[in-house]
Amino acid sequence: MIEYALMLSVVAVALMSLYPKDLLKAVIIGTGIEGLALAVLYQELLASDVALTQAVIASTVLPGVFALTVYKTRRLEE
Amino acid sequence: MQTAAFICGGLLFMVGLYAVVFKDNLIKKVMGLTFISDSVNLVLIAMDYRPGAVVPIILPGVNPADFASTAAYPLTIALVLTNIVIAVATVSLILGLCIKIHGKAGTLSARRIWPDGQ
Repeated sequence: MIEYALMLSVVAVALMSLYPKDLLKAVIIGTGIEGLALAVLYQELLASDVALTQAVIASTVLPGVFALTVYKTRRLEE
Repeated sequence: MQTAAFICGGLLFMVGLYAVVFKDNLIKKVMGLTFISDSVNLVLIAMDYRPGAVVPIILPGVNPADFASTAAYPLTIALVLTNIVIAVATVSLILGLCIKIHGKAGTLSARRIWPDGQ
C-alpha cells in the first residue's frame, strides 16, 4: 500500500515544485523531496544499491548544486 | 504494482516535458530535465520487479540455483546506477552554463534572453 502512496507523492511533488516564485523553495522541493521519495520507492521495487545511490545524490549533491546556482544568479523569479 | 510503476514513470515524464517546454525560468527547465531522467530510471527499475521475489544479494551458504529462482533480475540495476551518476554530471554542466548565461544577459528568463523567439 505504501508503494502507491509513494508513486502518487512523487508525481504530485514534482508538479508542485514548478509553481513557487522563490527558486530556492522550488529547488528544495523539486530535487530533494522528490528524489528521496523516489529512493524509498526504489527500495520497495527491490533495488537496494540504486536506492542508496539515489538517497545520497538526492539529499546532498543535487540540491547543493542547484542552490549554488540560485546563489550565483538571483533568488526570485522575475 | 509493476503497471502502476510504469504509469507513474509516464506521468513523471509528462511533468518534466511540461516544465521544459512551458516554464520560463531556466532553472525550472533544468529541474524538468532531472524529472525526465528520474522517470527513465523508474521505468527501467520497474522492469526488473517480480512479485514475491527477494533483493538480488547472495549470501554465503545459499544454494545458487535456489537463489536464481527466487531473486529479482539484477541487470538493469547496474545500468541505472551508471545513469544516475551521468545525470548528475550533465545537470552540473548545464547549471554552469546557466551561470555564464546570467553573467552575460543579466537574467534567467528565456523570454528576455531570446526576445521575439529569436
